[in-house]
Amino acid sequence: MDELTIAMPKGRIFEEAYELLVKAGYDLPKELDDSRKLIVEAPNERFRFILAKPMDVPVYVEHGVADVGIAGKDVMLEHDRSVHELLDLGISSCYIATAGLPNTTMNEVTPRIATKYPEVASRFYRSKGEQVEIIELNGSIELAPMIGLADRIVDIVSTGKTLKENGLVEYEKIVDITSRLIANPVSYRLKQQRISEMVEKLRKQALK
Amino acid sequence: MTIQMFEKPLGMRDDFPFIAKKKAELRSKGTSIMEKAGYDLLQTPTLEYYETIGKISAIADNALFKLLDSQGETLVLRPDMTSPIARVAASKLLKEKMPVRLAYYSNVFRAQKREGGRPAEFEQMGVELIGDDSLYADAEVIILASSILKELQVESVRIVIGHTQLLQLILKDFGLSDEQIDLVREALVSKNSVGFEQLALSLPIKEEALESFNRLITTSTLAEWKQWIDPSNTEQNELYEEMLKLHKIMERNGLVDSVTFDLTFISHMTYYTGLVFEFYGAGSGFPLGNGGRYDGLMKQFNLQVGATGFGLRVDRLLEAMAPNREKELQTLVLFTEETEQEAHELAQKLRSEGQRTTLQYAPAVQALDEFTALFSDVRRLDGGTNG
Repeated sequence: MDELTIAMPKGRIFEEAYELLVKAGYDLPKELDDSRKLIVEAPNERFRFILAKPMDVPVYVEHGVADVGIAGKDVMLEHDRSVHELLDLGISSCYIATAGLPNTTMNEVTPRIATKYPEVASRFYRSKGEQVEIIELNGSIELAPMIGLADRIVDIVSTGKTLKENGLVEYEKIVDITSRLIANPVSYRLKQQRISEMVEKLRKQALK
Repeated sequence: MTIQMFEKPLGMRDDFPFIAKKKAELRSKGTSIMEKAGYDLLQTPTLEYYETIGKISAIADNALFKLLDSQGETLVLRPDMTSPIARVAASKLLKEKMPVRLAYYSNVFRAQKREGGRPAEFEQMGVELIGDDSLYADAEVIILASSILKELQVESVRIVIGHTQLLQLILKDFGLSDEQIDLVREALVSKNSVGFEQLALSLPIKEEALESFNRLITTSTLAEWKQWIDPSNTEQNELYEEMLKLHKIMERNGLVDSVTFDLTFISHMTYYTGLVFEFYGAGSGFPLGNGGRYDGLMKQFNLQVGATGFGLRVDRLLEAMAPNREKELQTLVLFTEETEQEAHELAQKLRSEGQRTTLQYAPAVQALDEFTALFSDVRRLDGGTNG
């Protein structure tokens, strides 16, 4: 049996993804999320987990150091990487939306958009024919409209709680996001049996 | 932006001696196999017109390096080898000698958007077999490429084979229009199963056919293909029969265990119109090479002939090929002013015996110990002793 290297996103998605693998019938150790370790083995299934930043999962998979990975569709939309998107896992469901202070219109001269997803944001406003200035931030995006850096933000919304707490409202929904099982194109061919088997097992769980 | 003295343009690389050497070995092994199979090497210009090769090449416009010549014409650095060779073959010179077998080992240029480390200039080697529209031509190039991979001792070689035309016909049977088929193709190029299934829902596919449509993307054997072949459709049956023949040929050549027949495998190179294939191997996270039938491309050069070929990426082969374990023997002869003539004679004698020999004036070397450590054998004619 070929060893399979799986890139997993640290944090929120990890637990859901791990649970899904267990439910799919993989014999994995009970406690795995030891946040300090970067590589964890699951010898019974010949799995090796790489714990990476969610944004980096497709990078590991594209370069083939991980055979498969679990990545949010948001990350895939932001960076166009040559990986195979095999299955919608249906977990970590959320969406990307625009938001801002209530009852405001965008600045007529230069509407500014703050976001962690400059590519997604730029594509969205271009498709609407609106010219905007994109400001890339790495976190606490909600801050931008509050202190007057931007008119709108483009960010992930899962419950809407963060927006509310910061006095922001959602304006337009851009795209739905779930986590996907992705594969390196070469691994997909060389370890086809193991990967197809994983797709089938996970598909059954994802459908439930 | 200030450019440091040692910087190179984005995606450009120096080949240090050990890489250059490995490449030379790869080149000689590869070209000798291609030549033995009856292919003639050729070289085409680095610069081509944007209007011809630039547009025909199937490489995205933003990946082309463009420049202007003194007449104001737009030129491109050649982005692939297949289209220039098609141009050559379509010229008067070779038209009468069809089928013509041409081979190349050349660098091609593709501008990179991301991550400066990706090469924007890389070498490819491959062949084009032009003027033969039979299945045997396709089989010949696949076998030839495999024998190069074998010679380079690439491990776990996998060949994925698809058929663009057959897939097109099958998709038509699902009631899809040409525009809809293009959308499907887009999802298939990146093997985006999720996008494919979502797309299926938005297409006018009958509900009872949906399950069978979604199954298209999972095929890996020819036997699986058969379920979609319409027995009353002669064209489909003929193409399928050909694939079965190809399977037999692969079998006879001991390749059948390395082949995956994937009905929905299609190439990002849009000029492939029939059989398409791609090569993978352990050691590289990217495909080693690809190829296929491109009769349509020849039509653009006003030639109604069949053509097929493959191209292998040298940079990826370097990663996947077996390392050369033999340490090369190299002799150093150190001399001084007094022993110059003696040293020269010794070096000539060693070289004539086939020994790689470096001749060095000893006082010019700053760190003698470090320098001599680079050689397998040191002859001291400078009065010093080894060690």
